[in-house]
Amino acid sequence: MISLRKLRKVFGRRCAVEGLDLEVTPGQIFGLLGHNGAGKSTAIGMMLGQVWPTQGEVRVCGFEVTTHRHKALRKVGAIFESPVFYDYLSGWANLEILSHYTAPTSKARIREVIEWVGLTGREKSQVRTYSHGMRARLALAQALLPQPELLILDEPSDGLDPEGIHEMRLTILRLQKELGLTILLSSHLLNEVEQICTRIAVLNQGRKVFEGTLAEAVKQQDWVRLRSDDFAAAAGELQAEGLITESRDGRLVALAPGVGSERLVRLLVERGRPVYEIAPEGRTLEDFYLELMKEKRA
Amino acid sequence: MFLFQLRNELWKLFGKKRTYIGFLMFLLAQNAILILFRFSHVPKQMTRLLEINGLSSTGYISILTLGTMMVVLIAYTMLPLYVALIGGDLVAKEAEDGTMRMILCRPISRIRLLLLKWLAGFIFAVTLVLVLGLFGLLFASFWFPWGGLFVGPPVLSFSVYDAAEGLRRYALGHLFMIPKAATIMTMGFMFSCFNMKPAAATILALSLLMISGILEQVPFFSDFQEWFISYHVNVWQSLFDPRIPWWKIGQSMSILIGYNVTFLLVGCTAFHVRDIKS
Repeated sequence: MISLRKLRKVFGRRCAVEGLDLEVTPGQIFGLLGHNGAGKSTAIGMMLGQVWPTQGEVRVCGFEVTTHRHKALRKVGAIFESPVFYDYLSGWANLEILSHYTAPTSKARIREVIEWVGLTGREKSQVRTYSHGMRARLALAQALLPQPELLILDEPSDGLDPEGIHEMRLTILRLQKELGLTILLSSHLLNEVEQICTRIAVLNQGRKVFEGTLAEAVKQQDWVRLRSDDFAAAAGELQAEGLITESRDGRLVALAPGVGSERLVRLLVERGRPVYEIAPEGRTLEDFYLELMKEKRA
Repeated sequence: MFLFQLRNELWKLFGKKRTYIGFLMFLLAQNAILILFRFSHVPKQMTRLLEINGLSSTGYISILTLGTMMVVLIAYTMLPLYVALIGGDLVAKEAEDGTMRMILCRPISRIRLLLLKWLAGFIFAVTLVLVLGLFGLLFASFWFPWGGLFVGPPVLSFSVYDAAEGLRRYALGHLFMIPKAATIMTMGFMFSCFNMKPAAATILALSLLMISGILEQVPFFSDFQEWFISYHVNVWQSLFDPRIPWWKIGQSMSILIGYNVTFLLVGCTAFHVRDIKS
C-alpha cells in the first residue's frame, strides 16, 4: 500500500528525512514512532503529495505520488493532529465540501458515515460548537467518506482526554477489523501503538533506526526474572553450572544458549533453594523505545 | 464536479462574516456621504457650477449624480481594500488555519484548486461592484429625485447627460470597474499563494497599487502613464467622458487581462512548488 524508497527531504540546510525505506503491506496497522522533529510528519506529507521529496520514490496504492497524485490518493483517507475545519459551517457542510474534492458523494453516504462515527444529531450544528472529541470523530468521518483502503493517521489522539484516546483506539481496531483497512499510524503515545500496531518503524533525526514487528521490538534477549531467598548466591551457582551467562538488577538472569528455565528450577530445587518466581522478562515498547533512543544518542 | 467544487468554494467564502465587511462598509460610507451632502453647502456649490455652465441645477442633482459621485470616491479608496482583503485571504488563510492540509490530502490537483478559488474570488469581486452600484442608486433614492447625470472635476471631466444616457453610463462604468476589482483581487491572490500571512498578502497588493498610483501622479512620469497598473484599473472613469474613448478602454482591458493571467500564473507556480506543512 505504501512504499518509500531512499526518500530524502531537505528544508534549507536541515535534512528532515534521510534515506527512508518503508513498506506497508495491505491489512497492516503500521506504527510510525519518533520524537518531535524526527521526520514523521514530513514523511506523511510526502506520502500525501503535500511535501515534495528532494530525492527518492513515494508510491501509494501502487502509484508514484509525485507524478500520479490523483490516482495514488483516490482510496486514501487522512487525519492530522488537532483536526481543523471550517468552524463557521456545519459538520455536514464540512463533510460535503471535503468529500467533493475526491468525488461526488451522495447524501446517503454522508449520513452513513456520520452514523458510523456517532455524530448523528449534531451534523447540522456549526463545528465551532463541537468538543475536541467530536472534531476527532468528524475528522474520522471525512477520512472515511471516500471509502478508503488506506488510512493515514498523524497523531489522531492528540489533545484527546483518556476516554477519547480509548475510544479512538477502539475505532482504529474496528476500522481494521470491520472494513479491512490498512492503517499507518504516527503517534507519540507508545502505549497506544503497543496496543494496536502489528508492525512499527522508529525514526530518529530523519533516519529509520528500527523496523520490525511489535513482538521483535519488545522481545528481551532470554532474560528471566528470578526470585529466590538469596538471588546473588543462586545466580552464582547457576553461572558456575553454565546455565546462565550473566545476572543484573538483583532479579534478572540471562539464560545460556539452549537452556530452558525449567533447568534452572530443577538445579535450584535440588540444591535446596526455594524458587518463589521464575518468568520470562518482557519489556514494554516504552522501554524498547527509550533504550533505542539512548543507544542512538550514545 | 467542477460546479460542485465551485459551489463549495463560494459556500466557504460567503459563509465567513469577514466577507461581508465590504458590503457593510459600502452601506455605511454611502449613507454617510449622502447625509453629509444633503446637509452641507455642497449642493449650493454644485448648483453654482451648473449655472456658470449655463445649465439648470434642477434635474441634475439627482440619484444618478449622487450615485456616481459616491462610486468614484469608494472605487478609489474602499473597493481596492476589500477585494485585496478577500484575494489575500483565499489561499493564505486556509494554509494558516490548516484546512489547506485537509484539502490537499484529497486527490485534487493544486492548479485546479487554485482556479476554483480564483473563480470564487472573481465572483466576489463582481458581486461587490454590482452591490456598490445598486446600493448607490438605492440609498440616493431616499434623498434625491430621479434625473439626469452630472459629473465634473476633480476626478471626472465636466459632462451632463439625460437620465437614460446617464443610467447607461452608470451601468457601463460599473461593468468596466469589474476588471479593476478582479485585477486587485488577483494581485492579492497571487501573494496569498506564497508562504505568507493573509494580512501580508493584502498589504503587499495594496502597497503595489499605491506605489503605482503615486508614480502615476508624479508629473515627471506622465509620459510613462501606460506602464502603471493604477492607470489601467481606473480606465472605467473614461466611460463618463462626453465621447467614450473605446480604443483606450480596449487597450487597458487587454492589459488588465494580461496582468490577471500573469498574476495567476505566478501564484500557481509559487503554490505548486510549495511544501504544505502544519
